[in-house]
Order: sequence, then C-alpha cells, then structure tokens
Amino acid sequence: MTSMDLVKESSADRTLRFERDALAYTNQLYAAALRYTKNPDDAKDLVQDTFLKAFSSFHQFEPGTNLKAWLYRVLTTTFINSYRKDQRRPQLSSTEIKDWHLAAAASHTSDQGKSAEVAALENLPDSDIKRALQDIPEDFRIAVYLADVEGFSYKEIAEIVGVPTGTVMSRLSRGRKALRERLTEYAKELGYNTSRKKKVKP
Amino acid sequence: MNRPDGDLTPCVEVLDSLLRIIDGEGFEPFQQEAYDVHLVQCSPCQAELSHESFMRLLLQDVLRRICCESAPSELHEALRQQIRGQMYGVSEVVTEFRMTEISIEIDEFGQIEHREITIEHTQEIRFPDENQ
Repeated sequence: MTSMDLVKESSADRTLRFERDALAYTNQLYAAALRYTKNPDDAKDLVQDTFLKAFSSFHQFEPGTNLKAWLYRVLTTTFINSYRKDQRRPQLSSTEIKDWHLAAAASHTSDQGKSAEVAALENLPDSDIKRALQDIPEDFRIAVYLADVEGFSYKEIAEIVGVPTGTVMSRLSRGRKALRERLTEYAKELGYNTSRKKKVKP
Repeated sequence: MNRPDGDLTPCVEVLDSLLRIIDGEGFEPFQQEAYDVHLVQCSPCQAELSHESFMRLLLQDVLRRICCESAPSELHEALRQQIRGQMYGVSEVVTEFRMTEISIEIDEFGQIEHREITIEHTQEIRFPDENQ
C-alpha cells in the first residue's frame, strides 16, 4: 500500500484494516499489560486505552513497518504516563548507563553457582517465576519482557521505551541478573538441591 | 599474563560483553572477531559463555511459557465494539454554552424576589461514516 492509497482509504477500510491487523495482537498486549500493571483490571484498561490511542493515530502508521513494535510503543508510553503507581518515583539515572557492565559477570562463576541457577529455573513452579518477575524493578521487568518474551532487539526496545540503547542494555543485564538471583533464592528456600555437592560414598 | 599469539583481549572484557555476545547485537564485527579469538583459547570464558547462553534460552523458554495469558473474551468484545463504534458513526453531545442569570430583588416592602434563568446551548455532533 502506497501513501497515495492511504489518502484514499476510507475510514471504513481503515477500521477493517485495524481490526484485522492490530486487534490480532490483543492477547499478546494483554499478557504484556499484566506484567506491566500486575493486575487484570488495570491490564484490561491499559489494553483498551492502548487500542483507542492506536486507532486514533492509525492513519499515521506506515503500513509495511513494524506494527507490533508500534503497538508496544503505544502500550508502553500509555503505561508509563498513566498507570505507573508512583509517578514521582525517581527514574533510573544516567549513571546506570555507565555502570551497566558492572552488573555483568565480572569474573568466572563457580560450577556450583551455575548448577544452582539451572536447577532453580528447571524446577520452580510457574507461580514462583511469575512472582520473581513481579518483584524485580519495573524498568528492568519491562526490558526483560520485551527482549526475552517478545524478542525485540535493543534498538527496538530503545524506541518502544524511549531511552538510549545503552540504557536498554543496562536494564536488560541487571534485570536478567536480578531475576536469576531471585529464582535461585526461592529454590533455596524451597529446599531444591541447588548446591549439589558431590559426596564421596564411604 | 601470558597469552597465546593473537589474543589481546582480557577475560574481563569478554565477560563484560557476554550480554551482547549472547544476544548477538550491540557491537562491531571486529569486536566479534576479537572475542572469537579469545574464546577459542580461554576455556573458563568458554564455559561462562556456554552457561550464559544456556541460561538465556532457559529463561526465555520459562518466561514465554508463563507469559501467555489470553485476554478475557469481554475485552475482545469491548475492543471490537469500540472500534466499530468509531466506524458506524459515533455521536457526542456537547454543551457549547451555558449561562445562569441570577437576580435578587428586594422591593420597598422588604420582599425578596429571587429569579434564576439558565440558558444552555447543546449540540449533538455526529461522526458518520464518510462512505454512507
């Protein structure tokens, strides 16, 4: 579809195109909204607000470009602007860009640490994993969700969230790390055998 | 540190870059080559990379498994109605003008007369489908 066709497109056609192309993402956006807002009622409202906003500016959306990323941008900005529980919460500062690499493994980890992490992820029930995801800071959670569940690239996430790519990497690195640490802790609490020490049999 | 020929990359640099190496983005091709040269020769870094790659996939699988709730049917229905509403013409009642005149008169006998007149101009705006 060229931009000329777009000018000629009637509102009825545009509505049908929106229903067909955009509303197809309802389930996906709802699952994301659940992670953002942490509760079903707010998630429903957020998805409705998102689609209303998207519909009213759908004529500006260029067909052939990434509709999914565009919808996620509307969802994420709507969430950040209207649904954030505490608007005055201090935003993560620009220093996070500088020290993002500190969050990465600065040294080689032990085999024991490695197997504990794997055991936690393989054994924990879904409810605990959901809880861990809810517990990590919001900005981290959004970055991890967009990268690992939705498969967006750093650049796409940067555009969706409206921050530089360096910030995305920082949040992603810290977010994954925080999530893994939390899961390992839960696994320890539940008594999973996360620190498998090889015992020599007598 | 005594490094084999060709490898000028310290472990800490490779470890710092693991996130990007695993995600396969955020660095230049020449950096990738340097990492590859190092990784071939450094087994602790290799172990770290394979663990991190495995963890990334595992985490991805687990997150995708738990984050797949379907929207409730009433939400699907509400969205369709909202969008269709826009298509078949929505009407909106707008009050353009509203004025209340209050007059209080006290006559010579001390009687108070209180009058209120409200003038309101309301308009119903329709947004019909342009094809009809």
